[in-house]
Amino acid sequence: MLRLRTQAGKPFLILGLLLLAWLLIPPTIKRFSRNALYEFQAPSAILASKMEDLGTYWSIRSRSKRDLIETGKELSRLNALYRVQAGETVALRDYNLRLRELLDIPSPPGFRYEVAQVVRRDLSNWWQYLVIRKGRDAGIVPGAGVVFSGGVVGRIREVNAYTSTVELLSSRTFRMAAHFSGDTRPVRYEGGIIPSLRNPKGTVRDVPSDLYASPEQPLILVSSRLGGVFPDGLKIGEVRFLETDATGLFQRGIVQLDEQLLNLNEVAVLIPAEPSAREIFNENP
Amino acid sequence: MAKRGKAQSPAPAAGKPQPFDFQTRRNRRLIPFVVITFVGFMILLGKLFREQVLHRDEYIEREKQQTMRRIILPGPRGSIYDRNGELLVGNRARFSAAVFLNSLRKEFRTEYLSQIREIKRQEAETGEKVNISNSELIWGSRMAVIQNHLDEISRILGRPVSVSRRSLETHFNSRILLPLKLVADLTEEEYARLVDQLPPNSPVQVWTESARYYPYGDLAAHSLGYVVNREEQLSEAEEESNNLLTFSHYGKVGKAGIERTFNSLLDGENGQEVWRVDPQGFQYERLSLTRPQQGEDLYLSLDVAIQQAAQRGLEGKVGAAIAIDPVTGEVLAIASSPTYDLNDLTPYIPSDVYREIDQAGGWLHRAIQGLYPPGSTFKPLTAIAAFRRGVLDPDEILFCGASFRVGNRNFPEHSAPGFGEIGLPRALAVSSNVFFYQIGLRASIDWIADTARMFGLDKPTGIELPFESSREIVPNREWKKETHGAPWFPGDTANTSIGQGYLQVTPLNMAVVAAGLATGSTGLRPTMVRRDAGWTPEEPLVPLPLTEDEYDAILLGMIRAVEEGTARRTRFNDMTVAGKTGTAQVYPDGKPLTLAWFIGFAPVEDPRIAIAVVIEGVSASDQYHGGTTAAPVAREIFAAWKDSLKRE
Repeated sequence: MLRLRTQAGKPFLILGLLLLAWLLIPPTIKRFSRNALYEFQAPSAILASKMEDLGTYWSIRSRSKRDLIETGKELSRLNALYRVQAGETVALRDYNLRLRELLDIPSPPGFRYEVAQVVRRDLSNWWQYLVIRKGRDAGIVPGAGVVFSGGVVGRIREVNAYTSTVELLSSRTFRMAAHFSGDTRPVRYEGGIIPSLRNPKGTVRDVPSDLYASPEQPLILVSSRLGGVFPDGLKIGEVRFLETDATGLFQRGIVQLDEQLLNLNEVAVLIPAEPSAREIFNENP
Repeated sequence: MAKRGKAQSPAPAAGKPQPFDFQTRRNRRLIPFVVITFVGFMILLGKLFREQVLHRDEYIEREKQQTMRRIILPGPRGSIYDRNGELLVGNRARFSAAVFLNSLRKEFRTEYLSQIREIKRQEAETGEKVNISNSELIWGSRMAVIQNHLDEISRILGRPVSVSRRSLETHFNSRILLPLKLVADLTEEEYARLVDQLPPNSPVQVWTESARYYPYGDLAAHSLGYVVNREEQLSEAEEESNNLLTFSHYGKVGKAGIERTFNSLLDGENGQEVWRVDPQGFQYERLSLTRPQQGEDLYLSLDVAIQQAAQRGLEGKVGAAIAIDPVTGEVLAIASSPTYDLNDLTPYIPSDVYREIDQAGGWLHRAIQGLYPPGSTFKPLTAIAAFRRGVLDPDEILFCGASFRVGNRNFPEHSAPGFGEIGLPRALAVSSNVFFYQIGLRASIDWIADTARMFGLDKPTGIELPFESSREIVPNREWKKETHGAPWFPGDTANTSIGQGYLQVTPLNMAVVAAGLATGSTGLRPTMVRRDAGWTPEEPLVPLPLTEDEYDAILLGMIRAVEEGTARRTRFNDMTVAGKTGTAQVYPDGKPLTLAWFIGFAPVEDPRIAIAVVIEGVSASDQYHGGTTAAPVAREIFAAWKDSLKRE
């Protein structure tokens, strides 16, 4: 009887011993083992992502010639449209630069875009991360902004050799400076509300009391260049309701984020073009 | 039986003491000890009862005081709007990088231990004892932790930031529950950088407070006033009912202008937090929170467009301009120049800004504090005095030569050849001095002074602005005797008749005169607050004691002054304006200077705006005249008022 009891308690004893050992191990070894495990896992995640790419490629290859011709034509039309828009953007940028030179206003920091595929999503009620398929090899630095066609995605949290972890806008620990479209006063965006099976949300604070939002006339929250991480005007989300905060001085509201945010396949990392701009990420220029 | 007898213990021998005998026998010698012990216990029990039951409330209160702290949260002030709902004074965010010392306790402890280890290592290496007190070590480690965070902020902001050890000690000792500001007054860019780059779990946070915000900068700066910081206090009732150690964030109190007059209305209602603290005095848990409430909003009678026009007219000059609604007394514009940007005075007045404004003479609200002789703008009142006394007929013609002799002194006309034979309307239009010397002497100083008092020139108007001058002078015989110890001479009357001499009034006084002439009544009290529709005055206006012909003669004179006389620059093709210019001489410090005046109103048929403008000459070379210097300012105001009608 006693022997049976001893045997039953054995797993708990081992677990306890393991926990004790983990507690006593120096932090350096812990960090090393954690990173090693991650780096070991990373190739499998990348492999899975590349397999998915291959699957997509073959699925496209299996389409009929007529389909491919139609898609090609559509693509040509889109390319033409984008070329025109890109031309307009370049012209506007040049015009903007000329005005800045005339008015002696310093130019905002430029960014280089590093497009990366999403290989893993780590979404929970506590944190919301994406793992992307580019890392130090592509010059990505911690703290760099991450965007997609619909606006801001988040910020680089951790950089490994060939992968990086992106902290999503909706993560509880995410915070950034923003402003409303058409109003330059800075406000504070914070992630934090992660409802199950619904669109991700965040919170906006320090909103001046003279701004008004309603479901019919939502305010568009966009990134601010003032923080130095993001360019100006990238969409964060929509605010449909504002209420006075505890101080009675400002308003706060819920930010409805983009539906696609949790299902992204491809993002772009903003890397400061000028070496001096990297100072904000505490990196040597 | 024998067995039983064996089992029984032998009876104690009589007289031999046995152990524990004292328990079974009464020992008389022990009685005093028993009594003393009993009394002692009774005393202890009594004390216990007294402390635990009778003094219960006192101890609960003391426990509260030792373990509970209150933080007063000032309520934001209400906003101030113009009559059309344009924001004149609001609240803006004032951001600081701040840290709650409570959140640094672990870091303080770690740094303290690390410094002790370092000292021990040094002692072991050198073999000499390091001479440092524990207190020095504690403060050194606290300062080192703060410095680490300052370095991080400095990196993010790209500029050096510092906090002195003295301010850290002061904060620890007297404001421990409040955030320690590491960098105050962050710019928008600095705010954004900190929000973006500080980790969300950093003990350094962006702290937000309110500061007054003036979207129009220097618009009506003297009248709107400014606020200064003050440590908020509890009401006496609250203080007595709950005597906790209290900390307070800085609130604001109106120091000048409307902010001061309506301080109790604009001031928000304080909220408060009650915290349980640990033995070191750091926050442990929040027990209650009462949110602060914003103060009431205030709607002024000012109109931004008209005020802007008045300030535009005064730009680069020294003087004042006022526009009021002659029916309701609402002040549509009240400007004083030189002025200043109210945003430069918030959240505090930097000494260089103060000095700059002071040197320019900008602190004086000339519209209500400047005292000036009204010059020829006083002439309509001289005419009213003459009518009241019955010494002037509305159609009477008087000869006005190049000068007029009073006693042994010649009083000159302002135009060398004189004006010949003229009546009152023409005399007002050309602003003849000689005409008014004559009718002033006829009316006498008693009637002139009484008429001036009737228009309220001898006292403040009672507008809701602090520090309005109460040193107006309407001279008469008694006044001169009392102040100068000299009798009143006819020459004094002649001078007073044309608004010179001892007369001293504020521009606002003259705006009230213009309004009185517009409505043919007196007793109007100007106000800075917007009147609601259907408003009626508490005390009805008193009609001027003039016949229709007499009033019309004055009105005609003022219209002709605009149509063909000295006030031509205020003429409009589509609006009839009545006005009167004035050019007065003053001798501050013996230096001759000129003052340019204008008073007037429009439209004559249904007066809706009355204006007074005064411009001070600042050097002897300034050749200012009412018609060329003050009237253009008034024209700008009339034009802005006309535009505002179109907007309505």
